[in-house]
Amino acid sequence: MTTASIEVRELTKSFGEVRAVDALTFDVAAGTVTGFLGPNGAGKTTTLRMLLGLVRPDRGTATIEGRSYRDLSAPTTVVGAALDGTGFHPARSGLAHLRVYCAVTGCPPQRADEVLELVGLSNASRRKIGGYSLGMRQRLALAVALLGDPKVLVLDEPANGLDPEGIVWMRRLLRDLAAEGRTVLVSSHVLTEMQHLADEVVIISAGRLLYQGPVDGDLEGLFFALTSGSPSPVRAAWTPKEGV
Amino acid sequence: MLALIQGEFAKLRSTRLWLWLLLATMSLTALFASLNIAFNDDPDTLAPPLATAAGQRLLFGTSAGGAQTLVAILAAIGITAEYRHRTATTTFLATPHRGRVVAAKLVSYGMVGAGYAVLCIAVVTAIAWPWLKARGIEPTLTGNGIPATFAGVVVAVTLFALLGVGLGALLRDQVATVVGLLVYLFVAEPIVTRIPALQDWSIFLPGPSASALSQITLTDQDFLEPWQGGVLLAVYALLAEVAGLWRTTRLDVT
Repeated sequence: MTTASIEVRELTKSFGEVRAVDALTFDVAAGTVTGFLGPNGAGKTTTLRMLLGLVRPDRGTATIEGRSYRDLSAPTTVVGAALDGTGFHPARSGLAHLRVYCAVTGCPPQRADEVLELVGLSNASRRKIGGYSLGMRQRLALAVALLGDPKVLVLDEPANGLDPEGIVWMRRLLRDLAAEGRTVLVSSHVLTEMQHLADEVVIISAGRLLYQGPVDGDLEGLFFALTSGSPSPVRAAWTPKEGV
Repeated sequence: MLALIQGEFAKLRSTRLWLWLLLATMSLTALFASLNIAFNDDPDTLAPPLATAAGQRLLFGTSAGGAQTLVAILAAIGITAEYRHRTATTTFLATPHRGRVVAAKLVSYGMVGAGYAVLCIAVVTAIAWPWLKARGIEPTLTGNGIPATFAGVVVAVTLFALLGVGLGALLRDQVATVVGLLVYLFVAEPIVTRIPALQDWSIFLPGPSASALSQITLTDQDFLEPWQGGVLLAVYALLAEVAGLWRTTRLDVT
């Protein structure tokens, strides 16, 4: 494995009685697309939010380029994150939304137009976000993530709500970004999509690591074998590789 | 920090809420001032006569009465909207030290509050000046303690803006914060302050403290000295900020 861009160590978080993330440890190699997989409620979103300093872990650490998110001096130039397609004020236009975060992070205002162009939203930039489709919101969330031209991208279910053309577009974009040397950590539960997109996958369930390694076979079979939640006839055919 | 404040103004400008609330504030101020002048001759009025210095201070002080509640609500919406529309995630990703975000909102909404106060003072002046002259009363903006009233109005409205930011940061829920503010300031406090048996301590509540500061001192109630009201209101605002900051920096953003 090449140098790790993201390091998660013994990360643990409970919400009340429920242990959402349980001593989770994994690495994301620089310059790869890593799929972050698990059933609903596996703790993917909580893990990503702890990585980004939004949720305080009970125990453990998560670092990006060797530092915790809070300690990055210009975080948006290191990490771009799109956590869900819902974090928008409906009365604001897409352009105004980006301009706000341009002002806050000190990037030039024309960068907002550039990223809108990049995600294919230039024509809708002055429309209110309240009128955007889910797919357009996902594109806008990605535009926000790209504002600071970051080395690392952390994306939570970015393909949700995209139409087939959008999914292909997103796959190409993420591959291009990784080809430029960026690290992409992308959560999903669309396994066939990950089969096409990811170099590596990290699979978790009930907050624990089940598998980390390359995608070199039938990802769907692997996933169901590990999470034992499925009708897959091949579930016993897989044994987890030694992770990390 | 300057960038964060610019960001807050960019957020404020990107929707029309500030404009609608400003228009509402100026209308409310015009209404209060007009009622005050129109019914000042009424023998049952609680306002001192307009020919007296106290009467004119009250009239000019009404500009705060119109502005302070709505400014507190604008400020509370400004911070709770981050949670309601889930922009808090993006905001705290851009600024992981969340205390700075709250500080930027305090500065921005404090400035907005002061701006609203100045415009409301202009509204009262525009209404009062010709009306008082027509009644044979010579109004003044420089005597009768009016400059102190204006200063009190600006400070009171600014402090209400800070109070709104602090409360919003503490409660996070937009509906609870806005309804709570409205019910408290427009219903609960006016009732409590009218109960004579409670007046020994009701003068220390935020509303009466603000009234003391901007000298909206009706004749049927006791009030603190203006400076005392100002200090007390500043203490309320500070308590709200501390509690709001504590919650903002500790709670998970999910």
